[in-house]
Amino acid sequence: MPWAPALDLRLALTLDGLGALYSLLAAGVGLAVLAYSAAYLPRHLAHQARPARAGLPFYGLLVLFMASMIGLATAQDLILLFVFWDLTAIASYFLIAYDRREADARWAALMALIVTGVSAVLLLIGALMLYSEYGTFALPELFERVEPGTTLTVAAALMAVAALVKSAQAPLHFWLPRAMAAPTPVSAYLHSAAMVAAGVLLIGRVYPFVASSGLLLDGLVVVGAVSIVVGGVLALTRDDLKQLLAYSTISQYGYVVLMYGLGGAAGAVAASFYVIAHALAKSALFLTAGAVTEATGARELSRLGGLARRLPLLAVASGIAVASIVALPLTAGFFGDELLFKAALEHGWAAALGAVAAAALTFAYLARFWVGIFLGPLRSAAETRLPALMVVPIAALAAVLVVGGVWPAPFAELAGAAAESSLLAPATASVAYHLDLRDENLMALAAWSVGAALVAAPALWRAPAAALAALGERLGPERVYGRSLWALNRLSDRIHDIEVRDLRTRVAAVLLPGGVLVALGFAVTPTEGAYEVGTVTVDDLVLVLLLAFVGAAAVATTRPRNQFVLVLTLAVVGFGLAAVYAVAGAADVALVAVLVETVLALLFLGVFALLPREALRREQTLAERPSRRWRDPLIATVAGIGAFVLVWGALSRPAPEASVAEDHIRLADDAHAKDVVTAIIADFRGLDTLGEVTVVAVALLGVVALLRRGRLT
Amino acid sequence: MSDSSVTVLTQMTARLLLAPILVISVAVLVNGYASVGDGFSAGVIASLGLLLQYVSFGRERSDRLLRLRLVPAAAFAGLLGALAVALVPLLRGEPILTHWPPPGSDAIYVGSLELITAVAFDVTVYVLVVGCVVGFARAIARAGEGVAR
Repeated sequence: MPWAPALDLRLALTLDGLGALYSLLAAGVGLAVLAYSAAYLPRHLAHQARPARAGLPFYGLLVLFMASMIGLATAQDLILLFVFWDLTAIASYFLIAYDRREADARWAALMALIVTGVSAVLLLIGALMLYSEYGTFALPELFERVEPGTTLTVAAALMAVAALVKSAQAPLHFWLPRAMAAPTPVSAYLHSAAMVAAGVLLIGRVYPFVASSGLLLDGLVVVGAVSIVVGGVLALTRDDLKQLLAYSTISQYGYVVLMYGLGGAAGAVAASFYVIAHALAKSALFLTAGAVTEATGARELSRLGGLARRLPLLAVASGIAVASIVALPLTAGFFGDELLFKAALEHGWAAALGAVAAAALTFAYLARFWVGIFLGPLRSAAETRLPALMVVPIAALAAVLVVGGVWPAPFAELAGAAAESSLLAPATASVAYHLDLRDENLMALAAWSVGAALVAAPALWRAPAAALAALGERLGPERVYGRSLWALNRLSDRIHDIEVRDLRTRVAAVLLPGGVLVALGFAVTPTEGAYEVGTVTVDDLVLVLLLAFVGAAAVATTRPRNQFVLVLTLAVVGFGLAAVYAVAGAADVALVAVLVETVLALLFLGVFALLPREALRREQTLAERPSRRWRDPLIATVAGIGAFVLVWGALSRPAPEASVAEDHIRLADDAHAKDVVTAIIADFRGLDTLGEVTVVAVALLGVVALLRRGRLT
Repeated sequence: MSDSSVTVLTQMTARLLLAPILVISVAVLVNGYASVGDGFSAGVIASLGLLLQYVSFGRERSDRLLRLRLVPAAAFAGLLGALAVALVPLLRGEPILTHWPPPGSDAIYVGSLELITAVAFDVTVYVLVVGCVVGFARAIARAGEGVAR
């Protein structure tokens, strides 16, 4: 459906495999999160002493996010994709900063917005590059037309970077742990299943572009591997529940990126399956963390323990979710890892070893998470009873995982369909339980045993992991982000100081470069015969006298005794020019000039009456300081000479735009107008008029806001 | 702008001039398509008439007698109207700011005034300019009262 035909934009939405997968995820997990929020939000607001009404925007924003996620999943046009991409970023900004009074939340929301927003521009640049090369934004057409080459590689690289930042991959992953300042349902939805999933969705959607270059695929593998390691090791060191889960998300999406990078049908299918299993399980875990914090009031792992007896249903449901991510049998995640191992094996034993190590790391930190909360001695008692609506969604997600573990066919089909949209070729996922000594089963067993060993012997990894975490805080990308923001602020302040110290400096900052540029322009272009001095006849005498009068008045404005006289002299200049227009035959322009001059002079005088006398006197003496005595006239002279030369040159040349004026005169009759000027304002150049009146209305807003009662005193 | 600096003669003249000024402004507006004049100048003339009342009588009295409190809101009504004239053609599938009736066909005349969307555009500009200038003046006058106090 065409949207803006002049710009080649279309509203193109298709529910293909990839779209169906992510839409189902967004809608299904969204439903669970909404149900959970119905119970969680009132308690959360009560903790913060906010009225219950404040919950309404929350649901609205969640639904807006869900809608933009579904739009993003089904979009088939690159610009539409970009619009939905930014819509999700905006919704996420407001959701993360939902606890407006917390400085952490505001900082985290801004960080997420800046990091993902700036990278979104890369997506736009990539889309524009492809458009300029192939002439369309629509993805199906692009897939047919593209050929491997530098343009495609660079555009695909830009889009891949945007996707990786959105999915919180190293090195630009630091916004995700900070975003844990959001309320738990937001983390469960956005930061495990939806918003970070948008990144890998983009990779899946533009996979044909990415797959055209082996370099890009290798890059994906590297980034994925680094994210797995960074996320996993840091998850081992975190004490705060949600931070741990955030780093786990980084690590898990590293898996997905790695699988896309491994390439081929096996990789794409494995990645899609993994996304489903992870989204369901991770949101269940986030909701669990929120429920546990609600029940006990403790957010840290060190303060929790032994809750299995008090919260049995929660323990079982979250246990199933943990089992799924860790890839134990009878859960959907088991097949995810099976597909991962199969894909890794195709690429040699180094990849396989890496996959086993990654799986072991995952086992270690998630086992630490679950055991730390539910087993062991009771550290904080579960004081409040959890409402059913908080536990049921978690149990429902866990049930889906179990169903997926026992009967994986629907999941496999969905993953296969998604991979087909990515690869533009048929792909199937065949997953089943094989009770034999296949390589994948051996690898899984190896991963679990190594992971169990890591859990049992924490002393092995505690010191190196903590060292890595400290290194990241000192030299990591978050530091770079903070320092760049600080440096930008400093730069802006400096420029403001130089340029905007007072009104004269501001005007000078525009006039001087303007005059210099005009002079440069004339120095560069040939000026043979460009300046004509025309003849002056007796008929023009009135005009010349009037112009001389205007010139004298303009010169007189440079030597006023006080500001009041200055305003009146400027008004005289304006009226003089109006007389010039009238004599030259432009009746409409003369009328408008007179009226505008009157109004402006009145308003100018009115504003001057508001200024305190001492300030005016002080400005006057400032202007007469010796240091200023040569600077202002110099700038004025340079700008004046530049304007003079420019206008003389323009008027000496026969105007090529005479033809446009003739068109206007010719068409005025068709426009039902006898007065051409009015027709130009309202009809031919109506859009200009619209813009100008908008500016006037905005100026009104500004004046009213600035002069509001109490602001001047 | 207190009463003491303005003589009775000025006030009488200002009071007498208000109606003619408004009539002239409407005339300029209507005349726009036939001869000199357009929505912008008409709006400025009308607002100058209102500003004359402000200068002569002071803000509070003028506001009370002429009910000028809502006039600045007219600025945004005018803006909305102008946007409507510009954007309604989009809904009909034509480019932005396509006027009706289209070129070549006849327009409905009321006297010498044509009922075409371009004239409606002019009227919205008129309303907007009146609202804006009166709004500026009111803002300055109110701020001035705050400073004087």
